[in-house]
Amino acid sequence: MDVVIIGNSAAGLAALEEFRKYDRKSHVVMISREGVIPYSRVLLPYVLRGKLPFEGMTIRDEAWFQALDAECVAGEVTALDDTCKKVILADGREWHYDRLLIATGSHAVMPPIPGIQDERICNMWTRADADRLRVYFEKYQKVVVIGSGFVALQAAWAARFRGLDVTVVELMERIMPTVLDETGARILTEKIREKGVKLYTGAQTREIEHLKDGSFLVHIKGMEPVEAHFLIVGTGVRPATGWLEGSGVSVSRGILVDARMQTSLPGIYGAGDVAEGPTVFGDRHMIHALWPTAIEMGTIAGRSMAGVDCPYEGSLNMNVTQMYDVTVASIGKFNDKEIDDASYFDEKAGKGYLKVCYRDGRVCGACLVGSSDAVTVLGKLRPLIRGGEKADCTLERLEQYVNLRAFASRQMG
Amino acid sequence: MKTVTIDLKKCVGCRNCEMACAFARTGQDCVRDNSNIRVNVYAEDRFVMPMTCFHCEEAWCMGVCPAHAISRNPRTGAVEIDPVRCAGCKMCMLACPYGNIHFDHEKLVSRKCDLCGGDPECVKHCIGGALNYEDAQEANDRKQRLTGQKLSGIMKQL
Repeated sequence: MDVVIIGNSAAGLAALEEFRKYDRKSHVVMISREGVIPYSRVLLPYVLRGKLPFEGMTIRDEAWFQALDAECVAGEVTALDDTCKKVILADGREWHYDRLLIATGSHAVMPPIPGIQDERICNMWTRADADRLRVYFEKYQKVVVIGSGFVALQAAWAARFRGLDVTVVELMERIMPTVLDETGARILTEKIREKGVKLYTGAQTREIEHLKDGSFLVHIKGMEPVEAHFLIVGTGVRPATGWLEGSGVSVSRGILVDARMQTSLPGIYGAGDVAEGPTVFGDRHMIHALWPTAIEMGTIAGRSMAGVDCPYEGSLNMNVTQMYDVTVASIGKFNDKEIDDASYFDEKAGKGYLKVCYRDGRVCGACLVGSSDAVTVLGKLRPLIRGGEKADCTLERLEQYVNLRAFASRQMG
Repeated sequence: MKTVTIDLKKCVGCRNCEMACAFARTGQDCVRDNSNIRVNVYAEDRFVMPMTCFHCEEAWCMGVCPAHAISRNPRTGAVEIDPVRCAGCKMCMLACPYGNIHFDHEKLVSRKCDLCGGDPECVKHCIGGALNYEDAQEANDRKQRLTGQKLSGIMKQL
């Protein structure tokens, strides 16, 4: 059997590894547009901040692919011909498949702001972005970050950590709606400002003016313009599906996949940021664009391609990072509109702001702006959220319960 | 493959394991916060429960690590974190359903039990015989029933 995997990030790598647990015979080709040696996007802010060396971004080597007997091909797939069962690369090369996994990930978007096209206005999403930013971090002093999501704020922190003058401009009235609830966002906003970052919410970037000396003047509605030597744009990502037009694969925002990661065409699977799969909360199709979800989807896709039937129990969003000297993490549902009830750990517990959320009497999520150690609480809640378990006890008892439950689930297996 | 097994009815809650682990890790002191094994104390229920990494067969932490910093030691079977590769992103802490991965506040990386390279200090210093370094499957078969009953009892009360 010929297996083709397009994309060598989280989903593609997980799929390859899982597939080989069940099938050592099939010929597997992995095609990737950013070179055959994979790197981890998650690590970009850590590399830019100087926490990791640049080479630390690389997460697999040639030997790893050899051990899994996979042929690695660098190139961009531009078309899919399911009638002839082949994918076609930009340079005209073609690869036949019996099973195909599309794990092409997502592209960072550039909002339609006049003057946004410039070499020194970039995202923080690809290795090429990192290559440019590491130079700018050394060379320049003033940066404006547009957007205040998870990636944008990590980029801003990396720059601030390195001593740059950082301004963050957010169109919405609050930061990080997909990662924190309003209170958490407010606490983090204060931390960001304490660290000397100028953060403006409810601020619309109208134009980026290019000055004669090569720098920029960022015009923001109702504000004095802000000077910048370079800009980082972090206003979200979009699934890389453009090349699938007319292929017969059903695409909404992303590729629609079922619990086995199968697309609308038999033998063709989708996983990771490019795919919309089922969630643990019962949504049929949703994109998380998160690393852990991509790993899980890739694992399921790998099994499905090997003929192992193991449907996905659904994705559960989870986020974590350390920035501005505080740990920010969340899981499941935590915004007040989506929950019935919430309880909060006492400040004396030393966890920081840690909110546990309930819906219909069941634990449905949590969010944290606080200590590193409190992340383990979110981890232990995860099986409860997945299982939709009832919880009608105090937080202290709940924490004891999750500890016991963790132990019992192991011992009684 | 051998691992650290926990026999709850023998644990007396002395926390020697925590101190032994902390000392093995730091080589300096026995500050329990530095330990990778944790004893949970349920005073009202008169019950104590040590928790340490199970070195899961399908280790979630290992699969999810975006830095490829977690791997299995082929000799001991331990799931280990490479502190050089670790970015300190804490995804493993979020992934572990047992709360068995901790954070090293000095090195700013995640840390966990590595079975002390095949000679775990916590086991050597356990005074009640609750911790043993033995084949996991055998131990499980032997202890499963008793532990299960006790835990179910307490969980019902919670």
